[in-house]
Amino acid sequence: MLQYVVRRLVYGAVTLLALSIIVFTLLQNTGGGPLDRLRQNPRIQAADIQRITEYYGLDQPAWKQYFTWAGKYVQFWDQRAWGESFQGDGFVRDIIADRVLATLRLMLTALGLAIIIGIPLGVFQALRQYSFFDQAGTTFSFVTFSTPIFVLAITLQLLLAVYLEKWTGVKFFFNAGMNHSSYGTFDFWGRIGDTLSHLFLPAISIALISIAGYSRYQRAAMLDVLHSDYLRTAKAKGLSRRRVIVKHALRNALIPIVTLVSLDVAGVLGGAVITESIFGWPGIGRKYIEAIGTNDYPVVMAVVMAIGIMVVIMNVVADLAYGFLDPRVRYD
Amino acid sequence: MTDRLLPPDPEGAALQALDEAEGMTVDPITQWKLFRTRFARHRLAMLATVVLLLLVILVLVAGFLPGLKNPLTQFKDANGRTMNLLAPRGEFPFGTDQLGRDVMARVVYGGRTSLVVAGLTGLLVASIGTTIGAVSGYYGGWIDQALMRFTDLVLSLPLLPVAIVAAQFFRGLFRGREALSLALLLGLLLWGALARIVRAEFLSLREKEFVEAARAAGARDRRIIFRHVLPNALGPIIVNTTLTIGGAIILEAALSFLGFGVVPPTPAWGQMAADGGRAAVSSGAYWLVLFPSAALIFTVLSVNFLGDGLRDALDPTQSIERK
Repeated sequence: MLQYVVRRLVYGAVTLLALSIIVFTLLQNTGGGPLDRLRQNPRIQAADIQRITEYYGLDQPAWKQYFTWAGKYVQFWDQRAWGESFQGDGFVRDIIADRVLATLRLMLTALGLAIIIGIPLGVFQALRQYSFFDQAGTTFSFVTFSTPIFVLAITLQLLLAVYLEKWTGVKFFFNAGMNHSSYGTFDFWGRIGDTLSHLFLPAISIALISIAGYSRYQRAAMLDVLHSDYLRTAKAKGLSRRRVIVKHALRNALIPIVTLVSLDVAGVLGGAVITESIFGWPGIGRKYIEAIGTNDYPVVMAVVMAIGIMVVIMNVVADLAYGFLDPRVRYD
Repeated sequence: MTDRLLPPDPEGAALQALDEAEGMTVDPITQWKLFRTRFARHRLAMLATVVLLLLVILVLVAGFLPGLKNPLTQFKDANGRTMNLLAPRGEFPFGTDQLGRDVMARVVYGGRTSLVVAGLTGLLVASIGTTIGAVSGYYGGWIDQALMRFTDLVLSLPLLPVAIVAAQFFRGLFRGREALSLALLLGLLLWGALARIVRAEFLSLREKEFVEAARAAGARDRRIIFRHVLPNALGPIIVNTTLTIGGAIILEAALSFLGFGVVPPTPAWGQMAADGGRAAVSSGAYWLVLFPSAALIFTVLSVNFLGDGLRDALDPTQSIERK
């Protein structure tokens, strides 16, 4: 068991290593260096550029820069470990620390919504196979699955944040930001309401695609179990329908979903990059797009690594959860 | 024993003559015929095929359509004012955008970008995925181990963040040819799932009796792979490539949306939705979002239905409970 966890973590570390090398190499060879903007500024002297280049170590060969970066990166307890922003925004570790909680809030809400809505949807579809409800669910899944997340996000933003306010005169949802500017003056319930009305639209935009996937998968898993021999036995024993479905069918049909959810984390974080940009959410996804636009390579690296680490951790957790739920799984 | 008494009859002509005499002739059911009947049973897949064919024809002949305007022209009215943000009307069925360009023309030409990228990506995914999967599954051993660890690695990369950085890189490499650079990038990122499937197919097929027979007859690896194994693995390859293309269109649109795909003024659906989205929030110009988004959804939906129909027709063992 311990051996298994260690092996999974080693795999995860190798993935992160490869990820860092790939992204670092791509950034090194992308046209337009981080100092382009400074060079265009006529008030900055060549000597200053030279000084800045040396300060950030940009005059070193690429492989040396990589090792310097990697050697510092693992010392995450040091404030300077992840380098300094080329754009003068301070230490990268602080930038990430400021924003990672916002992304986690968005990601966990989206995953939670997807699980709470998607799984029951799939279960009820399977219980009433070929009913109108089932067909409607299937249609929903297919259409949502074929819709890019930015289309969902913009549509929800336009309908529920912009037009709904125009038509009713009441602001139900906000189309940008994480909290109201005068959040600090609100009372307890005011804060909760404000948080939810900012959080709901970006979270549900991400969740909808996952809901489509989970419900499809859960429906198939449930149908599989419903046609199994042991379920026929349970029915033949005279157990109530409720007991058969909840205790015998559902508990088994839920197991494969754990894997699906863990594989979905990468997709949800990718979705967060897009929705954070659309809804002005102050997370690492939006920072990523900004940092790439300004060639702020230390920030780009730190965000990619943060996403990679979250994916690796969630995968290990899901593997362990799987073994916990299904005693047949062995770790050797 | 009775065989020897009969004259040599390689075509079974005598048997056929016998059948004909008894009025029992049956048209042979070829694989192609089997495929057609199974595919035709999937109504949505048939519809999707028609939609996709029409779309391909539309973007091919777009330049010759008499009614279609130029996607780059910024229209001005009689007083010389830019006709921007006009709601859909007779002259502009899909309205005009912030710069006074015809949205309908831009949607059609944006489709050209999407379809070219999708097609090239499909070709790349099919060739890379099939090659790696085939080598891995057929030869096994350390080659298999090495290739599959590599595949696992590619599959475990966070797709969108890596795609964004790679898009920046390829854009510098292929200045002015974004469709090619996007296709290359998507192809290099998306072949993993197909490689795994092809490997599994090759693993099971290479143990089959007909492969053993071919090997006993002295066929070389090359001939066995291309004549005996690959044709039998074509079904899953076609199906999964089609489904990957659906994902590729979405990813291309997402990259264009974020500004890392097709560079304006060349129209692309994702980029139109991005620019239009901002304009729509401030001015309520819903048509800037509606038409490119609808085009995207219909195209991806059609590709996915096509893939679903192909799966039912080519690869019935993989179908999920369709009765």
